[in-house]
Amino acid sequence: MTLRDVEWDACVLQPRHDRELEAYVRQQVGAVPSAVPYFTASPWIVRSMASLSYFGAPLVEIDYTLADLVGLVVSQDNSCRYCYGMQRTVMRVHGMPEARIRQIEQNFLEAEIDPSTKLALDFARRISRASPLVTASDADALREAGWRTRAIKELAFQAAHNVFMNRLMTAPAIPIAAVERTADHWALGWVAPFMKLVMRRRWRMSAAAKLRPEQKTGPFAYLSNALDGLPAAAALRTALDAMWESPLLSRRAKALVFAVIARGLGCPLGEREARRLLESTELAPEAIDSILTHLGGAELDPIEAAIVPFARATIRARPAQLQQRTRALLERLRPEVVVETVGVCALANNLGRLGVVAQLE
Amino acid sequence: MTLAWLVASGLAISVGALVAALLHSRSSDRRARARLGTASAELERLSHAFARFAPMELVERVIASGVPTRGERKEVTVLFADLFGFTPLSERVDPSVLVRILNGYFERMARAITAHQGHISTLIGDGILALFGALETNPWQTDDAVRAALAMRAELEAYNRELEAEGLPRLRLGIGLHRGSGIAGLVGSPELMQFTVVGTVVNVAARVQALTREHDVDVLITPAVQQALDPRFALRALPARELKGIAEAVATFAVLEQSAALD
Repeated sequence: MTLRDVEWDACVLQPRHDRELEAYVRQQVGAVPSAVPYFTASPWIVRSMASLSYFGAPLVEIDYTLADLVGLVVSQDNSCRYCYGMQRTVMRVHGMPEARIRQIEQNFLEAEIDPSTKLALDFARRISRASPLVTASDADALREAGWRTRAIKELAFQAAHNVFMNRLMTAPAIPIAAVERTADHWALGWVAPFMKLVMRRRWRMSAAAKLRPEQKTGPFAYLSNALDGLPAAAALRTALDAMWESPLLSRRAKALVFAVIARGLGCPLGEREARRLLESTELAPEAIDSILTHLGGAELDPIEAAIVPFARATIRARPAQLQQRTRALLERLRPEVVVETVGVCALANNLGRLGVVAQLE
Repeated sequence: MTLAWLVASGLAISVGALVAALLHSRSSDRRARARLGTASAELERLSHAFARFAPMELVERVIASGVPTRGERKEVTVLFADLFGFTPLSERVDPSVLVRILNGYFERMARAITAHQGHISTLIGDGILALFGALETNPWQTDDAVRAALAMRAELEAYNRELEAEGLPRLRLGIGLHRGSGIAGLVGSPELMQFTVVGTVVNVAARVQALTREHDVDVLITPAVQQALDPRFALRALPARELKGIAEAVATFAVLEQSAALD
């Protein structure tokens, strides 16, 4: 499906350039995507955008072409016009013909791609949809097709990471005109081989990478530990710790976001971890129950009362409704708090869908 | 010489015919591919459009392998809405005006329902059967359904002001809500299929809707809804009534309003 018909609001955030953050992204990714200045109010978001991508956390098991296909399918399924445009551009730079991209967009199950790739894309899309949430048995078909556990985990991470990016770009309606123009530009086919040459060294397969002992603890450690062996594990650990330390939202507010999204996705592991974090902030278990059952309660402060229902709105991919909610949130909270909230919700959507990696052995 | 000319001419004609056939076949191939591409894109567009009425996985299954006969038991909240006195109105008002009134009504009600994560399963005359928690798991389905009912009340009030300004009669709505387990699936004949829920849960919602007239209220819920509902909604308990097809008398609650804290 072409996403041109998907309603996309005017951006609700103001861009603000930050040289240091942009230099970090350039060093990790090779370029600074146009979305970066919209998130500089919350540095961990910008750093995570780069460090969680396959440029920051290079691939060990699955190849870059498959990771790109995952990005395309997940962005399309989430109706994220920004990520979809970016992904199409990257794929054309990678050398994939426009006709083939169109074929996969229209129906990858019917496209001329090998059965193993189809299985992988189907698995990635199930992770993204989370309706119902993917469990270990959903990976059986991949195992039977010869996929190793670590490869399945890397695939799951790529799918969940794309959901993170999709929510980040969709909620504030990051401008898409330039991205879509580039993806469709006639000259891209000519420039692509040169760009590929420049980017080549960033698309190299990586060696396995183990977590250091001090990286094995912290919020949601069961997920980063389950990814141990992949560079993604350390990148996720760093992103989680930076999010948890960020002062723009209280830890209680952040844990509430994680709990609401885990509840909405039906992710018991995520909800248990979020409740553990909430109880450490001295919120009584009965109060947590009530808040999670009705998305509100007298115990919530005004910021929490605003972000709890917003978190719920980020679970399913409905760009127009979500962008409307972000606009309404800006009427109640400072812009930097809105940026932080969008980032935490995006990461919570990533983690809630990633639970399957902890079930795979 | 003549032979050479004949052979050359024959060759030229053959080559020309071959080239023409090749060009024709390439252009047919291009046209066929273009048509196939358009059809495929159209199918994709349709499948996404249908995802508003049935779960996407189900839509894809239908496209890939036909209509599945298997249903799935689901916990859902059912909202049944109907207009009071619409039949007499339909006899008094010009048909084209009536259709305009009805379409304006449905547009506003659909907006209120979908804004609260519900989906319209069926329109029955001027009645609406909406489901919450049927398309995807929704732990907040009951709060959503009651919020949708209150949004429908507000939308109708605004619509009535527009109708009055045009000198048209006001509409009056009754909404019944019930929560329970039902079988969700594609139901119907090959010509007309719809994704819906069947079971007692739907019948009870419809019967409770009919009670709104007797109790002279617009939104009525069953105890199953009340127990799952956010206690900050203001309710008024009403006496139990016998419902057709239900063994025991059913107590109901009128939904008055939601507190400001719920906005």
